[in-house]
Amino acid sequence: MPKRKLDPLPSAAFQILLALVGQDLHGYGIMRQVADQTDGRMRLGPGTLYSSIQTLVEEGLIGEVDLREDATFGHERRRYYRLTAAGRKLARSEAERLADLLRVARAKKILKGQYV
Amino acid sequence: MSEKIYAWLLRLYPSHFREAYGNDALQLFRDRARDEKGFLPRLRLWLDLLGDLALSVPREYLRVEPKLISSSARLSTKDGPCFLVLAGQPPGATALLTGGVLSLAALLMFSILLNHGVRPVPLSALFRPTQGATHGGSSAFKPSVPQATTSKGQEGTIASPSQQQPEMGAKTSAQANTMAREFQTKPPSSPASAQSSQQQDGQSPGATNPSRGETKLDATERQRVVDAAAAILKKYYIDRDNAQKMADALQAHERNGDDDAVPDGAAFAALLTKQMRAVKADRHLTLDYSETPFPELPAAPPPEELARYREAMKQQNCTFERVEILPHNMGYLKLNSFPDVSVCQATASAAMASLNNVDAIIFDLRDNRGGEPAMVAFMAAYLFDHPEYWYNPRENTTEQSWTHSPVPGNKLADKPAYVLTSARTFSGAEQFCYDVKVLKRATLVGETTGGGAHAGVWHRIDDHFGMGIPETKAINPFSKIDWAEIGVEPDVKVKAADALVTAEKLAQSKLEKK
Repeated sequence: MPKRKLDPLPSAAFQILLALVGQDLHGYGIMRQVADQTDGRMRLGPGTLYSSIQTLVEEGLIGEVDLREDATFGHERRRYYRLTAAGRKLARSEAERLADLLRVARAKKILKGQYV
Repeated sequence: MSEKIYAWLLRLYPSHFREAYGNDALQLFRDRARDEKGFLPRLRLWLDLLGDLALSVPREYLRVEPKLISSSARLSTKDGPCFLVLAGQPPGATALLTGGVLSLAALLMFSILLNHGVRPVPLSALFRPTQGATHGGSSAFKPSVPQATTSKGQEGTIASPSQQQPEMGAKTSAQANTMAREFQTKPPSSPASAQSSQQQDGQSPGATNPSRGETKLDATERQRVVDAAAAILKKYYIDRDNAQKMADALQAHERNGDDDAVPDGAAFAALLTKQMRAVKADRHLTLDYSETPFPELPAAPPPEELARYREAMKQQNCTFERVEILPHNMGYLKLNSFPDVSVCQATASAAMASLNNVDAIIFDLRDNRGGEPAMVAFMAAYLFDHPEYWYNPRENTTEQSWTHSPVPGNKLADKPAYVLTSARTFSGAEQFCYDVKVLKRATLVGETTGGGAHAGVWHRIDDHFGMGIPETKAINPFSKIDWAEIGVEPDVKVKAADALVTAEKLAQSKLEKK
């Protein structure tokens, strides 16, 4: 077997996992949620978005739920995605890894102020 | 409009991605297009999309399908070849058509190239000696006599190969059998008469020389020639299987009346040559016709011919053009042929003896057109201190295949040796080059040699017909191809004119290192 595709976890995949915490979303919903999370810095294009989704689905980190209409976006039926237990675990461990990094960065005093 | 453009751009993605997410991607585009109106948001949208395409399209093509990984693991447990189909659907009509047209175009291109462009041209064809051309009898057979040198008063004696060869052929019958072949490679006839069958391949002999038409051939005459040719083939042609097949083919054609239409002897000879080569494409195999009768080979050498040859060799110092000692005690020997040992042994020995105390020796074979294998081996003997296997492609291995080393009193066996070559270096001279090269005894400096290894044996059928049959070919113990047609590559490639200077420098630096 080749090396796992999500090791290290790409930031787009991590953002998608975070976006799906606590809510099921369709593709456009994920894109908007990610944009919100990052103050508009990360706008996932369709290619990157669905390619990441595909990988996450294959790795069992998120699952396709069903086709539903989203009243706010017209009457098209959309595919919704939900975080799995494995996805939640991975998101948490990634967050902890980043937190560790952050601690180190703080200790080295490269952050201005004490925010975050 | 913009949705259409994006839909078209989506086709850049691999099919597995389009099938799974094409509609979703398009939907996402529509959602964004609906929400982000105005010039700047639209511009940002398109920049996003293009950046996204640039990043994600290559990634999608690099993606390994999990299906494939699992199936390849499964496949590896089976025996025998197997392969995975990456495409989800069979190729479409357009793809098949394009593939077909491209294959046809490639096939066409290669066949055109093979027929016209890249036919291998033998080097020897470029450097073929001019005397071969004047003597139409057998251009396929390499002349091995030293090229005529126009020394004063000698033109009539040795300048004409057509005169020299019968003389030599005759003489050799009294000597070693091996030598006889060396000089019987051409029909011993007057130059005007013999007509090369290779020429006939290219053009109608009737057109070049209408007078040939006079000679009428009847069936009896034809049958006699065919029978004689078949007998000679079976007796002398080295490839026994094909000899039988060729003989059968010749007789079958005659029986079937295929030969009835030939207008004259030249055309008949050409036709028979063609019939033989149809069995095996051997361009050294030829059947020739001459209107003026081929002379009978004399049984014994006329003494006056031998005397003339001796005189000629004496005049030319046995073609040892220069024997001298260059600065830095380098021996220099310019030898322009390998003459008959029985006539020139004393000269050769004296030349080598005069160079016996040099520190390095340079053999200049740039104008050497070949000669007697016996003399080649005689000269080579000086380069070794023990009998060395001396390969000659024309001979099968005999006790004569070893050099007669060590030569008593010779001090050259361990001295650095250099051989100067040119494109004119030919036949026996190339044997010298080839063997010292494969034996790593000397450094070859100059140009790739002419490429004449094989000769033929001439068989007289009657006054007007004769056959050339390639000589037997010994197995090359060095398991490399010999120099026929391709020549011998020098170790140090320089223009022939610069070869001596280069060799001197090489020798000098080698001697200084000692």
